[in-house]
Amino acid sequence: MNAMSPLAAGVTITELAPTVRIALRLADISTAPGLALPVKVGERSAEGGRTVLCLGPDEWLIEAPEAGRDALFAALGAISVPHSAVEVSDREITLELEGPAVLTLLASGCPRDLARMPTGSGARTVFDSAQVVVTREAEDRFHLTIWRSFAPHVRAILDLATRELAAGL
Amino acid sequence: MTSNRLPNRGRVDHGKPVRFTFDGKALQGLAGDTLASALLANGIHLMGRSFKYHRPRGVVSAGSDEPNALMGTRRGAGQFEPNTRATIQELRDGLEATSQNRWPGLGFDVGAVNDHLGSLFSAGFYYKTFMWPRAFWDRVYEPVIRGAAGLGVSPTESDADSYASRFAHTDVLIIGAGPAGLAAALAAGRSGAAVMLVDETAEPGGSLLSEPDVVIDGKPAWDWLAATLAELAALPNVTILTRTTAIGYYHQNMIGLAQRLTDHLDTVPAGAPRERMWKVRANQVVLTQGALEKPLVFDGNDRPGVMLAGAAQTYLNRYGVKVGDRPVIVTSHDSAWYTAFDLAEAGAKPVAIVDVRTDVAGALTDRAREHGIETLIGRTVTGTSGRLRVSSIRVNRVENGKATTPRDIACDTVLMCGGWTPCLHLFSHTKGSLAWDDELKAFLPGHRTEAVHIAGAGRGLWGIASVLADGAAAGTQAALDAGRDATEHAHTVEADRPGTGITVKELPTDRDPGKAKAFIDFQNDVTAKDIRLAVREGMRSIEHVKRYTTNGMATDQGKMSNINGLMIASDALGKAPPQVGLTTFRPPYTPTTFGTFAGYHKDATFELTRKTPIDPWAEAHGAAFEPVALWRRAWYFPKPGEDMHAAVRRECQATRASVGMFDASTLGKIEVAGPDAVTFMERMYTNPWAKLGVGRSRYGLLLGEDGFIRDDGVIGRLGPDLFHVTTTTGGAARVLNMMEDYLQTEWPDLQVWLTSTTEQWATVALQGPNARKLLEPFVEGLDITAEAFPHMAAAECTVAGFPARLFRVSFTGELGFEVNVPARHGLALWEKLWEAGQQYDVCAYGTETMHVLRAEKGYIVVGQDTDGTLTPADAGLTWAIGKKKPDFVGKRSLSRPDMVAPGRKQLVGLLTDDPTVVLQEGAQIVADPNQPKPMKMLGHVTSSYWSDAVGRSIAMAVITDGHAREGETLYIPMPHHILTAKVVKNTVFYDPENTRLSA
Repeated sequence: MNAMSPLAAGVTITELAPTVRIALRLADISTAPGLALPVKVGERSAEGGRTVLCLGPDEWLIEAPEAGRDALFAALGAISVPHSAVEVSDREITLELEGPAVLTLLASGCPRDLARMPTGSGARTVFDSAQVVVTREAEDRFHLTIWRSFAPHVRAILDLATRELAAGL
Repeated sequence: MTSNRLPNRGRVDHGKPVRFTFDGKALQGLAGDTLASALLANGIHLMGRSFKYHRPRGVVSAGSDEPNALMGTRRGAGQFEPNTRATIQELRDGLEATSQNRWPGLGFDVGAVNDHLGSLFSAGFYYKTFMWPRAFWDRVYEPVIRGAAGLGVSPTESDADSYASRFAHTDVLIIGAGPAGLAAALAAGRSGAAVMLVDETAEPGGSLLSEPDVVIDGKPAWDWLAATLAELAALPNVTILTRTTAIGYYHQNMIGLAQRLTDHLDTVPAGAPRERMWKVRANQVVLTQGALEKPLVFDGNDRPGVMLAGAAQTYLNRYGVKVGDRPVIVTSHDSAWYTAFDLAEAGAKPVAIVDVRTDVAGALTDRAREHGIETLIGRTVTGTSGRLRVSSIRVNRVENGKATTPRDIACDTVLMCGGWTPCLHLFSHTKGSLAWDDELKAFLPGHRTEAVHIAGAGRGLWGIASVLADGAAAGTQAALDAGRDATEHAHTVEADRPGTGITVKELPTDRDPGKAKAFIDFQNDVTAKDIRLAVREGMRSIEHVKRYTTNGMATDQGKMSNINGLMIASDALGKAPPQVGLTTFRPPYTPTTFGTFAGYHKDATFELTRKTPIDPWAEAHGAAFEPVALWRRAWYFPKPGEDMHAAVRRECQATRASVGMFDASTLGKIEVAGPDAVTFMERMYTNPWAKLGVGRSRYGLLLGEDGFIRDDGVIGRLGPDLFHVTTTTGGAARVLNMMEDYLQTEWPDLQVWLTSTTEQWATVALQGPNARKLLEPFVEGLDITAEAFPHMAAAECTVAGFPARLFRVSFTGELGFEVNVPARHGLALWEKLWEAGQQYDVCAYGTETMHVLRAEKGYIVVGQDTDGTLTPADAGLTWAIGKKKPDFVGKRSLSRPDMVAPGRKQLVGLLTDDPTVVLQEGAQIVADPNQPKPMKMLGHVTSSYWSDAVGRSIAMAVITDGHAREGETLYIPMPHHILTAKVVKNTVFYDPENTRLSA
């Protein structure tokens, strides 16, 4: 990156269709063999369209397509030990950000060093004043999952920053 | 073109003229000029008037330390900036610049009378003069002082520009792109480390831009610079930011950078922000900020045409501008000699070099003689003359430290150099310690608190060869410390200009030093005698001297004045400089616009505003909104011609008569799940939960450890191990944090988990006698008849085809339901109910009506009727305490002696004697309106409304011993009259039997 040359402005922002989303809290991952829970905070497993992101020592965010709802709930129902599985499908909105300048765009509001985030991992962090979950879907593609009422503010700042990138300064 | 521009000199583009105006006069400069260099090229030295004495002032420096050449600059409407430093502002086409602090004009200024009254305005003037009479302070002194205070005119229009911000992470951040910084960047960049190199000026190069004759690695300085920049540009791991000032150095290598993006552009690209704040987290920081030149302190050292020698060299070599034809150089450092030589070689005729040192290297004096410049060694300067521009300088011999025979030398500029101060501002931000170097008479970096390396002139080195070597070493070390494999490289330097100098106090004079206007701080008009006066009047610490004289307190933070001030203070005190100390530098390094700090937080994105899924309907139906925490909520829904009172009255009547709809989506919601959920709830809330059946809900009261009310809400039990907790709108995040805090630190053994579901659910409240009739046809899988689904019942079901959590609950005293559906369906649910509700004349109501309806029932609003000092007993809520519970948060505090002692403020109802009078919320209450002021206040009105249902005004208040004052008449003094009201202990004003609720 060389800031003396204009940055490529190509970043697209798309709001994704809703998915099934579960906030899972569980003390012992060995008790949920059907869910492929990753152990390390920030790691994500992906299987058959379902992803499980480890957000904390006992916390996971599970995302699945609507078609996988029944299978997901069956897997959750098979957990034999005390846990909490709360559906939060409507709590959040997911924005997909893609393009060569995506890291610069995210740097307009996210203090994390996302260049070092491996593809296929994620983290709970902030964007501007809103809590978000960031996942890296590909080298130049990220998802931002934002609480519903915070999403317009995040989107508005992303749009401002996109204009800024397009201006080339 | 103009007489002071030298063709074929400087880095300006001689083929690109740029038009601008100064005080309305049309002028021309060149692309690459700063505003200051363009004015100098036009022969203009007079650029402003001083702050206190309104003395005519010229530009002193060529950098961000400029104290005098501060101007208003304007691009267009809403794009005016006061106090722009002309030395930093690049020339752009059409730039409008205006001088400041003068009336009617820069050449003749009425305020200059202050200069002749100077003896009245000595240090501590304000403290001494405006003491008496006391009454004059408010009416006369303060308004006059405030009127005269401040430099420049604040803009009156809102800022038309936009601003940006960006985070960045790097292995090595190098601040200052002079020779040391460039060498560091090469060393670190070649190692593969991620490098950011920033410089506050328009192009990298630093002192090399002013010293083109030095030869580095076999190349002339500017060729070496071009080659170096080309190599760095080819490294993908190196980023160079120019026009970027490191303004603050914060904990753990977080550095704030203010980048100027468009102020230099003739036309601004659409969408381009004016400035950007970078927040950089660096593994290693290299400070290569260089050194700042000090003025010499002598009478008349502030006359236009008197400037720093290094600045004159910069104007000559970087901008191709000759600052004068017949300069006199006054110096205590070798560096100014080279300025004289450069000027002579450029065609100026330096008249003399006055050196206050008694011993100067023969090579310098020889070279001066070759140029035909008179050398005056071991002399002092005791004055200058000239009205708006210096025309002569008074030089004296010095014998035994005393100035003797004076001599006037005609000149058109005086170029002074009092030595160089290592720039340690950013290092000072880190609270790193400074060590006094007695030989250099300078503070140097001492103990470091951050991963920071200081190289070059910033740590007292002098000469291009030594700073290049130092920079390369620092860059290498920084890369190694960042975990890279780096090898140091060497640079060869020819035609270097190493040198030495001394630092002196004010120059000796043969005149009355008490009358000398020998300036130290040009921006704040502080002279040497002010410092001595401060010491005479008892100031001992440099911190006190600073505040008494305001030395170093201007926006330049004493970049030029601090060491001179310290030398004089230490001389006056008879103590060594380190014993007197140096004041602390604080961010920002240079003045920074508010816009840069605000970034994107402007206009629509000024503050995050949360809106519910139903908000678009409210907006389309003309709702007035009010902010509640970060949310905007529908406040009331006025029909054409209605004011708030009329609308609220109609909404209240319609709800009590038939049915009202209310968007309750903002209520905080927390899912409490796990086998220990009941235990957790028992410990958190005052109420008993163990016996609450599944499918039932209960009002819950939350206290702090101190026993005071923190929050409340209705909580439903949806399963043996599952609670749906609601909180106040503003308390949602706070309550979840408090619960997590207890769970993680006090009761980690509990198997229970908390999940915020505030935004998972959209909530529609239906309230009123027809609420069931409206809702019933939409409900599947649940019998909601009064018998099957009584007050405070809770269940999961389907409503209008959406999965729902249904509560029978009332915050109005009417039959009521709250329907929670997944947020994406909230608007659809609302619209279906609205449509079906037309047969019942359904009414949408907002928060104001909600407040009236709940007040009629005496339901409190936490935060309005409580203020963080009310216990459940104070608020009349002892019924909400589980008496048999062994413990809950706040329980022990409730039995502390002072919590049960008389004299506490308690919540009561208040009925005005005149039922048509609505009390003002917040109004103070007294027992005796005839007592002398200040009266003893018993409490205040917390809620007050007109109530149609009750047929009169109603109010709640917190009053000392309120519960014992049933029937007592109290007084509410207002500005023009006194109101009377009677206390009622029972705050339920409407339907006290709750017959409507259980309908």
